Amino acid sequence: MNVIEIINLCKFYGKSRGIIDVSFNVEEGEVFGFIGPNGAGKSTTIRTLLSLIYPTSGSAKIFGMDCIKEGREIRQHIGYLPSEVFYYDNMKVIDLLKYSASFYLNSDKNRIYELAAIMDLDLNRKIDDLSYGNKKKVGIVQGLLHRPKLIILDEPTGGLDPLMQNRFFDLIHEEKEKGTTVLFSSHILSEVQKICTRVGIIKEGKMIRVEDIKTLEHTNYKKFKIEMKEAIPAEYFNINGISNLDVKEKAATFIFNGDINKIVEKLYERKVSNLIVEEPSLEEIFLHYYDKEA
Amino acid sequence: MNIYIQELKMSVKSLIYWTFGMLLALMFFMLLFPAISQDAALMNQLISKFPPELTRALGLTTLDLSMALGFYGYLFLFILLIGSVYAMKSGMSVLSEEIRAKTADFLLSKPISRNTIVTAKIMSVLSLLVLQTVFYIIGAFIVVNLTTNQLFDRTTFLLINLSLLLVQLFFAALGLLLSVIVRKIKTVLPIALGIVFGFYVLQMLNQSLTDSNLAYITPFAYFDISKIVATGAYESNYLIINTFMILGFTILTYIIYNKKDMPSI
Repeated sequence: MNVIEIINLCKFYGKSRGIIDVSFNVEEGEVFGFIGPNGAGKSTTIRTLLSLIYPTSGSAKIFGMDCIKEGREIRQHIGYLPSEVFYYDNMKVIDLLKYSASFYLNSDKNRIYELAAIMDLDLNRKIDDLSYGNKKKVGIVQGLLHRPKLIILDEPTGGLDPLMQNRFFDLIHEEKEKGTTVLFSSHILSEVQKICTRVGIIKEGKMIRVEDIKTLEHTNYKKFKIEMKEAIPAEYFNINGISNLDVKEKAATFIFNGDINKIVEKLYERKVSNLIVEEPSLEEIFLHYYDKEA
Repeated sequence: MNIYIQELKMSVKSLIYWTFGMLLALMFFMLLFPAISQDAALMNQLISKFPPELTRALGLTTLDLSMALGFYGYLFLFILLIGSVYAMKSGMSVLSEEIRAKTADFLLSKPISRNTIVTAKIMSVLSLLVLQTVFYIIGAFIVVNLTTNQLFDRTTFLLINLSLLLVQLFFAALGLLLSVIVRKIKTVLPIALGIVFGFYVLQMLNQSLTDSNLAYITPFAYFDISKIVATGAYESNYLIINTFMILGFTILTYIIYNKKDMPSI
């Protein structure tokens, strides 16, 4: 059964592009990663699902019900964590959470305390005094306290330290085990890879592809920045799997997809003065994986 | 109900400040009454030397400043202005505040319809204005009794003061409508001040020019205090216009808010 069904969804803000002909489904019980660079249309899609904004054309259904006509019933079972969290500054955290709970039929006060304990959130502080990360925690508790059937997360990990990110992922894992459906939007592919069953990739308002996570698991992109003691010969890094190669005397940068040992062996032959290996940005992966096929 | 209560909690402080301010202004003016009523002949003589357009614009033609209600009726204009600014501010901010404080995403992603939100918010503004009127009338009654020993007609006094609520409802409804038409309002109070004073200037023009068409556009003309003092009643045609204006603004607010795209954060 499809929990989310989006068909040819378009949204224009006046003349400027929001999303164009976006279509995809999210099945019950799956964690669907929704990936794209900033401004690609992830939030626009999500905000349409919640009828915060209305589509220019196309339709979206959640639990088989129309998002706009039956939005109220649908939202009873959705937990939403926006990318930027803002709450009433004068309220205490616990008052805000109780206010949030008062909108739902099956809210349970104990769940607030349970979630706050997991996320290490002080319930007696004023919203105004909270740091960005702590506000995000309020958002997480607020999104989960009514045991929703569908959780919509819009770039949820921003502002959380690594420990809290892990606890958050554990929480989402637990929900997944219970059969909850999750729509997880992010601009970081590796973050989504850990937890998702499928990912949809959106770019410049268009859905470029929906892929099984297993397909993507074969791809292991790393970005290398290397400096050596001596000048690097131009054809030195002539290895299968390297792209975006840029050699400037002693320095080289490239993106590599494949067995990292190959690079390590290659580097062993020479004196390395500096070496940085990092996750490439999604843009960079787009450039060398998706553009080839487009 | 939860939105209504939340809204009242957030606005109760400002209600107290504004109501207190109105009573303080009233107290200040009424303390002048004993002095002015004693020299009323002199005052009336002075006013009669003003150009007639000016006395009309100030609404001084028919009010007798030596009478408690005449004097009260004259200074009530200032109270009306303060109350109108408060009403306009409340009406304008009640829906737009969620957008300004960026809490609209929180509220609108809850399982409630937009009509429910608008209704709860309108009810809260209505409650604030009714509460303010009640507190103001009680306060004003005490103040007027303390500062004058003249007997005055209580029904007329009540009618003057109830016009506060009726004018406030006009401005609150207008504020609501403006707040949903404009995509994003950055600050409320300066706009509210400007609009209320704009309508007051229209009223001054209306009184000065005695152009009956102008009277239909400004709520300050709907409840002419000097006529209320003279007749002890409202003019029914204006009462009907006021009611239709308020209903019209409110209905449009519902329609537009239901179609509105919430600005993204």
